[in-house]
Amino acid sequence: MPFGIIFEYPDQYLFPGGLWVTIELSVVSLLGSLVLGTVIALFRISPLTPFRVIGVAYVEFFRNTPLLVQLFFLFFGLPLLGIRLSDDAFEFNFRAALLGLTLYHGAYVAEVVRSGLLGVDRGQIEAARSLGLSYAQMLRFVQLPQSFRVVIPPLGNIFTALVKNTSLATTIGVAELLNAGEVVESRTFRAIEAYGAVAVLYLALVLPLAAGVNWLERRLQVVR
Amino acid sequence: MRPDTWHLFTNPSVLGFFLGGFGQTIFISIAAIALSFALGLLLALARLSRSRWVRWPATGCIEIVRALPVYLLIVYFGIKGSSLGKPFLGPDFDMPRFWGGVIGLSLYTSAVLAEIIRAGIVSLPRGQTEAARALGFGPIGTMRLILLPQALRLMVPAMMSQLTTIIKDTSLVGQIGVFELYRSARIIYTQYFNPIEALLFVSFLYFGICFTLSQFSRRLELGNQDAQRVRKAALRSEVA
Repeated sequence: MPFGIIFEYPDQYLFPGGLWVTIELSVVSLLGSLVLGTVIALFRISPLTPFRVIGVAYVEFFRNTPLLVQLFFLFFGLPLLGIRLSDDAFEFNFRAALLGLTLYHGAYVAEVVRSGLLGVDRGQIEAARSLGLSYAQMLRFVQLPQSFRVVIPPLGNIFTALVKNTSLATTIGVAELLNAGEVVESRTFRAIEAYGAVAVLYLALVLPLAAGVNWLERRLQVVR
Repeated sequence: MRPDTWHLFTNPSVLGFFLGGFGQTIFISIAAIALSFALGLLLALARLSRSRWVRWPATGCIEIVRALPVYLLIVYFGIKGSSLGKPFLGPDFDMPRFWGGVIGLSLYTSAVLAEIIRAGIVSLPRGQTEAARALGFGPIGTMRLILLPQALRLMVPAMMSQLTTIIKDTSLVGQIGVFELYRSARIIYTQYFNPIEALLFVSFLYFGICFTLSQFSRRLELGNQDAQRVRKAALRSEVA
């Protein structure tokens, strides 16, 4: 059976080992980039100029440089700068990849959340302020909740891209799906099967996600 | 940090080395966008075909390729490109890493461009097709002389923002061993042990070109609602 190699190295490499690491990387860095992106978006719409400048600089720098360069920067740079994410080498690779993916996608999340926040009707903000809510309360109870519906479909698109981008973690030695494929290929010399299996597993992750995002997009559009 | 290596970045021969990598990055991007425009146009037209035997396979190809990580395609074609061609082109066939990487990158980009092109054509009013047909243009003439010229104009901003994505993705072609901007930094820092400085230096170069292009595409798009719609229709491509 040509595709038997998917199961030939059970729970160590491709399936479910590599798949599991890919899922772990995607989910954790999605959560991280949601938090980071929201903070940066609040910076970008802040009434204070220094905050806005920091927000713009962050978003533009991280969006306009390759993720690969950022990952290698963290991978080599953090230890040189004296920041030790972990003493274990494999754990360090994993955390560096996590941090890199979070920082990169946080910039995209920030853009989406910002446009969601700006989409909230100005009257809502003015009404909240004149009712005596502080700026923080207004954000918490009025502006952020109202932007959620607009923001969900584009965030879904970012998540699908994030799942695909976790494949770059193999370059800094994280044993995720593509890395597992490379290991299996180098042991068996069966490239079509090994990479084919990796492709199928990626499709199994990304296609349902993309379909779900499409469905959400249509559903939320009707409500609006 | 290695302050003792900072003189490298004012040394003309080192700067020339980086410039070579930069030129190679631009060359890869242009080769990839040219190849993928041709393939993407074919895929988009196939997806718009009236026959379901053409439409369904094209849709399947586009959706599957778009759902794969671009690095997987680059690794596969870059490393296995030669053995893929051997059954057809004889045992001596050898595909250079460069073209393998470019093919992997263009394959992915062509699926994205196909979506942009399709969105551009679909966004035109139906009356354009009807008027052209009523004036006696055939289906090919309608597409070539009426629809595509109008759609192409709407697609320019979306394609330019895709170009910034391609420029960033050329670093992945560098990762499989092709000389380009990221690779040039890698060569420098493996010799001088200054990854922080070398990577920061190239990321400023990447930033310079990508930021300029994305600002330019935003400027073009400003006030053009149809172009904004085309970009939104192909939105999934925007993060890469």
